[in-house]
Amino acid sequence: MSDNQKRILDLLAEKKISVDEAQRLLSLTEPDKDTGTRGPEESAGPKGKPRYFRVQVQPEEGSGKESVNVRIPMALIRAGIKLTSLIPAHASDEVNDALREKGVDFDVRNLKPEDFDELVAALTDLEVDVKGGREKVHIYVE
Amino acid sequence: MNCPPLLMRLGIYGRRRFSLWLPLFLLWPVAAALAIALAPLVLLLALILWPLGLGKLVLLSGPLVLGILCALRGLEVNLNLGSRVLLVSFK
Repeated sequence: MSDNQKRILDLLAEKKISVDEAQRLLSLTEPDKDTGTRGPEESAGPKGKPRYFRVQVQPEEGSGKESVNVRIPMALIRAGIKLTSLIPAHASDEVNDALREKGVDFDVRNLKPEDFDELVAALTDLEVDVKGGREKVHIYVE
Repeated sequence: MNCPPLLMRLGIYGRRRFSLWLPLFLLWPVAAALAIALAPLVLLLALILWPLGLGKLVLLSGPLVLGILCALRGLEVNLNLGSRVLLVSFK
């Protein structure tokens, strides 16, 4: 039994999800014997683990605005998250207050490298395109 | 832990082209020697600051900063400012 399946059963035992939801989630985690397709953990395929986080800001053609292209190694983000353990408690509170003022209800003390790994795994097949105003923002991992 | 970046490239491209490759690999042995020389002082500082709750910060900041330096490899920032292009990358 995989970790995901155990987690689903735990959620069911804690009554956080219904039996139908658990069944549906379990069916997604099981490999399909008929078609030979694989579960989500194995479906990353030849892409493998992403190494870089990319942010591209492209202006509308002819607008003459600045463009930004940043490639950040995942290891750097992970190292940055580890740095949060050094933030003194009162500074964390100030950061949390500032985030709350911006409408983000998040505690920076809860930021853990393990969470980041899960987030990266989820980002593997995700690309975010934001088109607003005169710029287009493209966020993805590679 | 990754290998720290060996080269840093700074580039400004516009009317005049300016590109600079900084050999960071020459800095690391010096930095390592400095870190070893300063280690007893850092330890002493950590012991002094421990009652204030800053000892852990002093002790862990070294390894964490080293981790960040090592993770810099592959970082690339490319800014196109219209008339100029700024490039910073770590190889």
